[in-house]
Formats: sequence, C-alpha cells, structure tokens
Amino acid sequence: MIPDRVIEVLHGPAFMQIGTRDGDLRPAHTTVVGAVVHEDRETVTVFVPAAYSGRLLSDLENNGRVALGAGLASHEAYQLKGTYVSSRPTDSKDLARQEAYRAALLAHAIESGYPAEIARPLTLGFAYSPGVAITFRAEEIFLQTPGPGAGNRMA
Amino acid sequence: MTVDANPQDPHGLREQIAENQQTIDRLNRDLSKRSNEVRIIQQISAEITSTLDLDEVLGIVLRAMDRVLGFQHSMILLAGLAGEALTVAATRGYTQSGAGAQVRIGDGVIGVVAERRKMMRVGNIGASVRYLTGVRARMKAAGQLAAEQNEAILPGLPDVQSQLALPLLVKDRLVGVLVVESARPNAFDELDEVLLGIVANQAATAIDNARTYRMVDQLSRLKRFFSPHLAELILKGGADDPLKTHRREVTVVFLDLRGFTAFAETSEPEEVMGVLHEYHAEMGKLILEHEGTLERFTGDGMMIFFNDPVLVPNPAERGVRMAVAMRDRVSEITTRWRRRGYELDLGIGIAKGFATIGAIGFEGRWDYGAIGTVTNLAARLCGEAKPGQILISPRVVGEIEDLLEAEEVGPLTLKGLARPVAALNIVRLKETPGTRRP
Amino acid sequence: MGAIGMLPDEIKPAMQGVIPSHVVTCSRDGTPNASTISQVYYVDPDHVALSHQFFNKTKRNLEENPRAVVCLISPETFEAWDLELTFERSETSGPVFEAMDMQLEAIASIVGMKGIFKLRAADVFRVTSVTKAIGERIPLAEIPGPR
Repeated sequence: MIPDRVIEVLHGPAFMQIGTRDGDLRPAHTTVVGAVVHEDRETVTVFVPAAYSGRLLSDLENNGRVALGAGLASHEAYQLKGTYVSSRPTDSKDLARQEAYRAALLAHAIESGYPAEIARPLTLGFAYSPGVAITFRAEEIFLQTPGPGAGNRMA
Repeated sequence: MTVDANPQDPHGLREQIAENQQTIDRLNRDLSKRSNEVRIIQQISAEITSTLDLDEVLGIVLRAMDRVLGFQHSMILLAGLAGEALTVAATRGYTQSGAGAQVRIGDGVIGVVAERRKMMRVGNIGASVRYLTGVRARMKAAGQLAAEQNEAILPGLPDVQSQLALPLLVKDRLVGVLVVESARPNAFDELDEVLLGIVANQAATAIDNARTYRMVDQLSRLKRFFSPHLAELILKGGADDPLKTHRREVTVVFLDLRGFTAFAETSEPEEVMGVLHEYHAEMGKLILEHEGTLERFTGDGMMIFFNDPVLVPNPAERGVRMAVAMRDRVSEITTRWRRRGYELDLGIGIAKGFATIGAIGFEGRWDYGAIGTVTNLAARLCGEAKPGQILISPRVVGEIEDLLEAEEVGPLTLKGLARPVAALNIVRLKETPGTRRP
Repeated sequence: MGAIGMLPDEIKPAMQGVIPSHVVTCSRDGTPNASTISQVYYVDPDHVALSHQFFNKTKRNLEENPRAVVCLISPETFEAWDLELTFERSETSGPVFEAMDMQLEAIASIVGMKGIFKLRAADVFRVTSVTKAIGERIPLAEIPGPR
C-alpha cells in the first residue's frame, strides 16, 4: 500500500516529524528520529524522544489521528495520514536502526549542500534515547514535494 | 572651482547630517556596544563630503565599511543615467575588482533593491536557490515551463549566502545600490541594517554630487566638438566615448565654395566675413538636421561625416540627402550673391569607407578627428567637382543608387589614390524611392 | 530582551530560512497535516508570517481551524523552538508582503524563473506561545566529530 519510494525515504534518510492534535483541535509537533515500515506495507513505527512524547501520547490516546511528514534535503517529501495503533519504549534493535538513520541523515545533508558546521548539529543534534516507538496504520499517502502535483494523493 | 548645474546645495547636505546626527545621538545612547562605530561614522561623513572626486568618495565609503564596520566584502553600483542597468563602480574584498560589471534592474538582490528602492537583507541564499532550483526542475520535467529563461548573472562572491543591500537615494532619485555580502549564512542583522542605512544616506548625496561634477566636466569638454544634443547623448551612454581611438565605416562629405579664394582676395573683409557667416549658418543648419558630425571647417571648406560617434542606419543616404539639400540651399544664396557681383558656387565630394577616429593632437589641445583613405577620397572628389557638382564614389553609389539620378563623369585619376575612381555626379534625387537592390 | 512581546531576540536567527521549519495544522474534521516550509518570517514580537505558495492543504486547514504549530531550528545554537500560532490574515500588500515578495523575486531571477514564481500572499499569524525545546537537543559540545 505504501509505495516503494516512500518506504525508501522513510527508512532514511529523511527529516521526519509527527503531527497530532488534542481534543480542542490544537495541533502539536514532535520530531521523529528514525522509522520502519512493517512487512504489510501499511503499518509504520516511528521513534520519538521520550522526553517529548508526553503531549504526543496524550493526543494519540485522545483521538488516534496522526500525520507523518518525511522530507529530504532536496525537498522531495511525502505525508502519511493514519490511525494510532500502539506504543512502547524503544529497545536495542530500535536504537541500532536509529544510529544508522542518523549517520545516513548526516551524509545526506552534506551531500545536499548544507555546510558541515550546520549539517552535523542539525542531523546529530536530536536527542533520541531514551525513546518511544509509536506504531500507526497508514491510510492515505500524499506527495508533498513542492512543485507540480504537491498535495496529490498517491495511495 | 565652480560647479555648474549642481542642484544639491550645501544646505541640503547640512540638514541631512543634522538629521543623521539625531539618529546617531539616539544610537549612541541606546547601543553602548556599538558607540565606537557610530562615532566613527560621523567622522566618515565628514571625509566623504570633503571631496568631489567620485573615485575618492567610493573608496572612502568602502574602506570605512571594511575597517570600521567589519564588512569584508562590499560594493557600490551606480544607476545608469537613462535608468537602465546598474554598473559596478567600486568593490572591496574581492580577488578581482569586477568594476564595470552590469546588473539589470530586477536581477538578484541588487536588481530588486534598485527596482523597489527598498533595503533587503537575506541570509539563506544557498538554501533558497536550491529550493527554487528543485521546483524549477520538477516543473520542467512536468512540461510546465513554457520558455527557457536565462539565470541572472550577478557580480560578487560565487558562494554567497548572505547579502544586505540598500538603495542610494537622493530625494526619490536612485543614485545606485550599496551592497555587503558574506559566504556565511545569516551573517547580517538588524543593527547592520541601521548602521549601513546611515552610511548609505551620507554616501548617496556625496556620490551624486561627485558624479554630477564629473558629468558637467565631461559635458563641457564634449560640447567643444559636438552639438549639445549629441554631447548629452554621448554622456548618457548612447554612443561610445568618441575620443577613444576606434575604426568605423563612415560616409564622409567634403564641400567647399568654388571661387572663394578669388573672392576673398578682391573683397572687403566685412563682405568676406558676411558671406562666410551666412554660408556657415545655412550649412550648419543642414548638418544638424541630418545629424551629421562636423569634424572640421577651414574657411569655406567643411568635412562632415555620418555614423560616428553615433551609429545611424543609413549613413550614405543621409550624406547624399544633406549634400543635395546643401546644393539647393547654396544655389538660392548664390543667386543673391551673384547680384552683388560674387561669383561663388558649391562643390561637394562624398566617399564611404573605414576611418580611424579618435583624439588627435597633444596634451592641452586634443581634437576629435578622422583619418583614412576615405577622407582623402572625399576631399579629392570635392576638388575635382565643378561648380554645382556632387561627386560620389562607387561605394556610395552602390548603397543608394535607386534614390538618385546620376551621370558618370568617367574614371578620375586623383592625387594620393593608386587607381582611377569611377565617380558619378548626382543630377537630382528621384522623387519616389525605388525598390532597393538587395 | 524581549520583555514585551512573545518572540525573544535570540529566536531571530531561526527566522532567516537557513534551516527549513515544520508546520502542523488541523482540519475541522480533526485530521492533522504535517508539512515543511522554507522560512518563517519575523514580523514583530507578536507576529510571524508564512509565504503562501504551494501547500494548499495547510491553507485550507487554516481557514477551517486557525491554529498552527511551527517548529524552528536556530542555525546558530541549533536549539528547537515550538511556536503556537493563530492565523490572523492573508496580506497581498504592505511591508511584510513586500519584503517577502522582494526576496522571492530576487531568488527567482537567479534561478531563471522571474515572473513565474510569485508570492500569492503573506499569511500573518499571532504568536500565542513560545517554547524552547530544551532536552530535545543534544548539546553542541557533545556532538561527535568536527564542527
């Protein structure tokens, strides 16, 4: 269900963020450090810093709506919208994934033209452990790359 | 040293400095960190307004921006006099001076600041360019781009990230643009805007005055050789600097009065001056009408050419039409002169070819002149012309033969020219223009 | 510093568009929307502006539900700032629009897209809360490798 290219991008290196909202429709933003798409190509697990998961979890438990934005430094970008399934603390396997993700993100930033003095703190600066793994089911996929077709539904 | 046509009197300048003094005083109070720079700006403004030499003024401004305010890379561009592109007038902090480079109004930060007459500060040029380049590529791939547009070519740092540019304004006239830039993103802040704003204010007036002074000086020099209209055109950049040596294909018209020498010998000086006066006045009118350049006149002889310093689309045609008009006019005047007993008539020679044109003479006495076979040929043809004849060379004929009725005068052997010339005499202009030969 | 007004001076470098920002909005039916914007523009200590170009869903959401949250990263300290915003109005003229328009025009001409990229509007927001996300960032000094 999730297109191949989107899976590629979610596995890194893309800058990612989760959008949620509370009972009063107030939006919230949480940075995501690493993601993995399950074999069913519908379920996605993302990792967020534990210190900043409070508001996120409360929103998810309130209404379950979630939006995941993933974009490369080249501005190729996608958005997945769906419904919350479950959450758990990150484990050592997740951590390994996150380390690989961070290294790939740094290489990507430098390759894309970010000066090194910005690329390093930007990509390696997100706190990621301890973390929380949030799983959700993707229901709609959108193209968000600026330009022709931005906002179109892909799947 | 008096300066003509300078509308900006010292009072205006003093008012501005007083205004800025208030701003400076406020800044001095509020910003103790930068008070040193602010005090030095006051010093700079005194330096800037003490000279009328344009290059000195520009140098003082850029030096101050570097040494005092720490802007390593800066430049000043001046607005074209006719409102077209900006030209880099001075730079500091670059490996190559870049002076003379042009920026179109509306191109890049500099061009947009000139267009909108508002300051602009950007700190993310690299990121923005990457973003829009990506969008452009995708639009192109999707077939959404109608035509290819050229990317603006701009002077300055190749890897620029930050730019702060201010318009230099005097009243609401754009004098130019002041620019500082950096290879670091986000290099300038609001305080830099304020400081540069003060510098720009002083610099605008000083630069404008220096520029006006320079122009007035150049204009008076040019007016010695050219009509006021032409002199202004040259100054505005409508023609290349005529005094710089160059080669150009020109049409040369040589004329003189047959019988003038004999007339001058046997007549009273007042009569001779009277005739010359009238002759020059009438010929002068026709030269201006046809936009020719009077290169020289010596008594009754005159040399006029077409296509320098201003290019014209049809120089040979203009020369011929002027010559015919001159002949007609002189024949009217000579009818009157004959009644008084003066036997005078016009002879004209016209040739076309390349000449070397530029400043001829020596320090303190430069003149604008043309040298080449073409001027000799025109002069010799004039010498051969019988009273009332307009002799033209074969090259002139080729371009405009459908306009004329002409008769062959046979091959002429002319002094200084290797081969005989198959000249023609213009009988008259045809009333309706024929079809041109390709 | 920044005693009056929500936005402190230290946040200004984050509003130069050196690092892209994230924005989240929410439709009236409760679906959040997460997107990226290249620059959040400083208007005054209580207001910011976003350029209105490609992201129509964001704009549509704002018309239904004016609340947004924006996350900025400072290119100097790399701290993250979360701003809660309320959409106030779209401007197609005035100093904010003009400053943004001038910037777009300048860059568009460099890229050879003059007249093709145009600023449709400047969307002005009132800032209702400012949070510096301490703890979300690993201190600069602890990031491995050369800077």
